Amino acid sequence: MKKYILNSLFAAVVLFAASCKPEIETPAGTTAGQANFSKYIAVGNSLTAGFADGGLYLEGQKVAYPNLLATQMATVGGGAFTSPFFADAQANGSGYLTLSALVNGSPTLANVTTNLAYRDATHLAKYTGEVQNLGIPGMRVDLAFAAPYSAANMYMERLLSDTQVGTTTYFQFIQGRNHSFFSLWLGNNDALGWATNGGVTTDATNVLTDKATFSMLYSNLINALTAGGQKGVVGTIPDVTAVPYFNTVTVPALLAAAKAINPTAVAVFIQTGTAVRAATSEDLIRLPFQTAGLFGTGAIPYGLDPRNPIANNWVLDKDEIIRVKDYVNSYNSTIKSLANSKGLAVADTYTYLNMVKAGIPIQGININSAFITGGAFSLDGVHLTPRGNAVIANLFIDAINSKYNSTIPSIDITKYRGVKFPDK
Amino acid sequence: MRKLLLALLFSAPLWVLGQGFQVNLQGQKQIGMAGAGSALALDEASVFFNPGAVTFLEKNSISAGVNPLLFKSAFKQNGSNITENVKNKIAPPFEAYAVWGPKSNKWKLGLGVYTPFGGLVDWGNDWSGRYALTSLNLKAIYFQPTLSVKISDRIGIGAGFVYNHGDVNLQRALPVNYPDGRSGHATLEGTGSGYGWNAGLYINTLSNITFAVVHKSKVITKLEGGSATFDVPESLRSSFPAGNTFNAELPLPSTTTLGIGIPLSKSTTLAFDASWVQWRIYEELAFDYAVNTPALADTKSARNYRDGSSFKLGVNHKASGKVSLRAGVGYAFSPVQDGYVTPEAPDANRYILSAGVGYAPTSRFEVNASFFFEDVQSRKQKNIETGLDGTFKTLVYAPGLSLTYKW
Repeated sequence: MKKYILNSLFAAVVLFAASCKPEIETPAGTTAGQANFSKYIAVGNSLTAGFADGGLYLEGQKVAYPNLLATQMATVGGGAFTSPFFADAQANGSGYLTLSALVNGSPTLANVTTNLAYRDATHLAKYTGEVQNLGIPGMRVDLAFAAPYSAANMYMERLLSDTQVGTTTYFQFIQGRNHSFFSLWLGNNDALGWATNGGVTTDATNVLTDKATFSMLYSNLINALTAGGQKGVVGTIPDVTAVPYFNTVTVPALLAAAKAINPTAVAVFIQTGTAVRAATSEDLIRLPFQTAGLFGTGAIPYGLDPRNPIANNWVLDKDEIIRVKDYVNSYNSTIKSLANSKGLAVADTYTYLNMVKAGIPIQGININSAFITGGAFSLDGVHLTPRGNAVIANLFIDAINSKYNSTIPSIDITKYRGVKFPDK
Repeated sequence: MRKLLLALLFSAPLWVLGQGFQVNLQGQKQIGMAGAGSALALDEASVFFNPGAVTFLEKNSISAGVNPLLFKSAFKQNGSNITENVKNKIAPPFEAYAVWGPKSNKWKLGLGVYTPFGGLVDWGNDWSGRYALTSLNLKAIYFQPTLSVKISDRIGIGAGFVYNHGDVNLQRALPVNYPDGRSGHATLEGTGSGYGWNAGLYINTLSNITFAVVHKSKVITKLEGGSATFDVPESLRSSFPAGNTFNAELPLPSTTTLGIGIPLSKSTTLAFDASWVQWRIYEELAFDYAVNTPALADTKSARNYRDGSSFKLGVNHKASGKVSLRAGVGYAFSPVQDGYVTPEAPDANRYILSAGVGYAPTSRFEVNASFFFEDVQSRKQKNIETGLDGTFKTLVYAPGLSLTYKW
């Protein structure tokens, strides 16, 4: 009898389990508000394309922020979203970096060289068909108007027919696509290209675009994208010093490493645009310097003697930082004022990534811009991890929702990974 | 007189603010009355509710009961269109009491074993807050030997010593990824112990209105040498060493209760309890690891609870010589402040509704059943420490059954 009663009790409890769920009300259903997401196109550079870990490959393409955004838009009337995905057999695309080991906390990176998508040494397999993710790694506002660049950039060349290669500009390429909504996050490389070459200009990809030129060309882009009265969202340009690429190899760390080997080392010496001098913590060293194998080598130790300083292109010195920050601020005021004049939403990645630099807790993860452990930036120190893409996509969603009174649902960022650590 | 007393009671300043990990399931009859009954010498559960009333129990008795509890919590991330639910896990709060004393003497001895604090939530390993918490299983089992003495025919005092055996298993995902993309996982598991006391005063006035003042002390439960297991990719093993242990401390709060019992008729009694739970001692949840590394520092998570309180009103009606019916309502103020709501205790102010029935086929044997329901109000929160941002809503269901033998 007692057993029977207990069993019945247990059964009753299990029945409650099936029913009687707590409900949480959703505010006013889901709506596109004043926007129309039926055909969304994404205009931009490597960040839009899903470039990560120093390469463009299928996993990164699938989690590019426009692709995550399009998935969420689908719940409020968004249509299909096509991207120039690499074929599964060529899923590793251009090749990319992986973390192969951590030795005493120092990363060892390796190149993925299998299942690549090259049709010859410098060209990728062509992609034909409709494309809505129009992100081209390396694309700049100034080069969007240069037809020869469509031949020089292998990611763009891949998407063009033979007659278009070298004759079609990116500006022409993005038009005539009957879009109802767009995102435009372009201009990063107009500053970053120069910065990631240590403030040295050697070719068109590392010029610091003139402020007035930027303003005029960006205005052309906005006008073309809103020609049919379309709504959209634009992204501001992050502070170039907010990325791990410039904050991982520091002058104090280099000096400490040198002193550990040679206690007489007094300073790290750098070549700036104008002089050779001792570096300070205000000068930023590029991430790849860590693995370049130059530091301290030679009869006159490299970087530790004014007669053999670290070369100009490895260092973004403090004067160059002031200069690039001034340009980024100017670009961003252009972007914001043009967006406001057209009633567009602004995803302020400049402000947001400066917050990430200090670290922000999201869904139980402390996301910051530390290399590898920060979780937002991939192994190239500039581009985003899948998790970083999800965080940025939420920033775009918030901007769109608040501008157009839409209710695109936010993304659960925990579904997306940070850097992969080797399990050996 | 009765009216005046009620008026006084309700005009008393509210100790605004009790629940957190508190489990209000310590006696089947009292559960049926929403947890009120400190001022009633109802049965052997007075060992918990008011040691001062134990000496007024007519018979010696022994009882045991269980209240399978379903804590059904839901979460919706801010801006999301997806509601996530905890897994259906049944926590087993239980209570066992024995009361003995020589007939018509001034004293009685009691022993209680009960579970006043606990928590069982399992959000699963895939939910959006997994990096804050995946599951918590917390049990505190109090053992309380008690002495109760009649000072006069109408006044009793009693006190018990409390030993707590605590058990905790806390799990969360770690935001480091294996090559296949899955996350790391941390499991903290340990047992601990603590000491305290429970004392009460019971007064039966000439009008047979009864009063109770009860204080249950805080019990600082110390966990030492718990196991800290980190499942991480091997390349991070040196940062999260295998076989690590931790120490932690969980302060369980003191509770002060004022109770009143009002006989409405020969067969019907009203009970009202107001409790003040001094949760403010729960300032932080700290884990002190035996081995620290640059990636594994000791953690201190602010909890900053304030005091909580609850108000419970119950009625006990003897429908016949053999059958009793009970019902109760209550309201509890959460000790958890804005910005500190966590998935381990998604607390908010709550309503309590209960019903119970007792059946005594003979003078020696008694069966009591109860049903206890709590509606924890929906609460939209962004946690300061984890950034977890969304709305929690919880419903609690606990049917219960106990058996009593009297002599």
